Amino acid sequence: MQYPEPISKLIDSYMKLPGIGAKSAARLAFYTIDMREDDVTDFAKALISAKRDLNYCSVCGNITEEDPCYICKDAGRDRGTILVVEDPKDVISIEKMREYRGLYHVLHGVLSPVEGTGPEDIQIPSLIRRLQSDEVKEVIIATNATAEGEATAMYLSRLIKPAGIKVTRLAHGLAVGSDIEYADEITLMKAVEGRREL
Amino acid sequence: MYLEKMSLLDYRNYATCDVEFSKGVNVFLGENAQGKTNLMEAIYVLAMTRSHRTSNDKELIAWHKEFAKISGRVQKKNTQFPLEILLSSKGKKAKLNHLEQRKLSEYVGHLNVILFAPEDLAIVKGSPSVRRRFIDMEIGQISPIYLHHLANYQHVLKQRNHYLKQLMIGKRDDHTFLEVLTEQLSTHGAHLLKERMSFVKQLEKWAAPIHHEITQAKEVLKISYQPSVEATNWEDVDQIFLDLMTQFEKGKKRELDQGNTLYGPHRDDLLFFVNEQNVQTYGSQGQQRTTALSIKLAEIELIHDEVGEYPILLLDDVLSELDDERQTHLLTAIQDKVQTFLTTTSLDGIKKHVLRQPRTFIVTNGCVELEDK
Repeated sequence: MQYPEPISKLIDSYMKLPGIGAKSAARLAFYTIDMREDDVTDFAKALISAKRDLNYCSVCGNITEEDPCYICKDAGRDRGTILVVEDPKDVISIEKMREYRGLYHVLHGVLSPVEGTGPEDIQIPSLIRRLQSDEVKEVIIATNATAEGEATAMYLSRLIKPAGIKVTRLAHGLAVGSDIEYADEITLMKAVEGRREL
Repeated sequence: MYLEKMSLLDYRNYATCDVEFSKGVNVFLGENAQGKTNLMEAIYVLAMTRSHRTSNDKELIAWHKEFAKISGRVQKKNTQFPLEILLSSKGKKAKLNHLEQRKLSEYVGHLNVILFAPEDLAIVKGSPSVRRRFIDMEIGQISPIYLHHLANYQHVLKQRNHYLKQLMIGKRDDHTFLEVLTEQLSTHGAHLLKERMSFVKQLEKWAAPIHHEITQAKEVLKISYQPSVEATNWEDVDQIFLDLMTQFEKGKKRELDQGNTLYGPHRDDLLFFVNEQNVQTYGSQGQQRTTALSIKLAEIELIHDEVGEYPILLLDDVLSELDDERQTHLLTAIQDKVQTFLTTTSLDGIKKHVLRQPRTFIVTNGCVELEDK
């Protein structure tokens, strides 16, 4: 038996989300039918608003409602430091820490020749333009610890260092509060490599 | 270590099967297509969780059955424990000492096996990629760090080859990014080269005397790693890294012309020499076989060195390919030391007096029985 068309369409829409397969999508779709109409309307509005009302900040590339974003506008932040991340989600993670007071730059991807992503396809040119003002003293590279993340970090450091700007990279190693017993070999190797004198 | 007993349920052509093995030599005797190799494979799967013959686990389950089970009991110097592998169309479960192991990597390594099958001749006769895979598998069993560098090396290599092609056709022109990829590739490559060099030395150290013995001092085996890059000191990772970088700088034009990475561990080979002659090209069939066998037997010693106990040895259809003298030497070399399983279609060709009390099993159509004495 075929699902009625409205349900099929809804299932199809849910399946476009990451991590949702055919069965989960069907469950969500049938759950949606049983929801109160107000809730469904709010849900639909939230979806549209997330797409329409959000923009990318013209300075740092983060998602924002207003341009430039509230972090770039904040006069209390240290304009001498820029932290470079792959993804807007990473900005939220670092902001949760409440310790970092500098600015951000979101690359929206990493360099990967296999996927055809070159420097011009991610937000590297806009980062270089930002660095042309004398204000910036340090760039912290916080791309992921994957092969592509490392390659992107190395590439950026080669571009930026000659300009006399300090380039740093986040540390690799043990997660805080974790037991050595449960760490995998590679993490331990990185932790030993990056040990510090006490 | 040795495998005390094994039970099969709906595995290939075995509906049920329970066998108790001898600590020494176990012979599976039977005609063609009766299930001798399937038994060897079952032992291999019990140890490694995967088959050496197929990557499709469904083939291991008997026709029209939902799942297959292999279980066994391992006896080590100080401990003994059961192992169990459950194969179903949904995946596999591995139980060590009754406890399910979420990560298969935590399961593998408790029963060490060395398998020698006719296909292993490819290590000597086959293409360089077969030999590189052999080295990678062997070192990988011992060092997880090596596997990390290997996976990263292969990943970066793919990226670099794509980028070189893009540079070649003029789609990109940024050489800074090429330098970054070169540096990344050299970092991982240097680790691979250092480990491979020392592994090959170890392998030669163990394989040469074995080969000498099997051939009754007629042949001298030498193993040599052929790197595509010359390094000044193979024990120093930093030095290898620098030498790799220098080679990439020198060969830059060639690489850009061809749009491919031309240097590094992925272009290397392993060469075997018997009496100073390359066995791959000049060796006879018998010499090639003996070389492959010496390498496999050397692995036994390598594992003994690493783990402190001898692994078990599976010889699938190997004896028939060796002449009497080589057979005798092989069997004396392993007896009393290593639990051995071998398959054969007939015991006629095998010198019975060499095998001290082998336990012989008759295999007929998915049924295993102890031979009547």
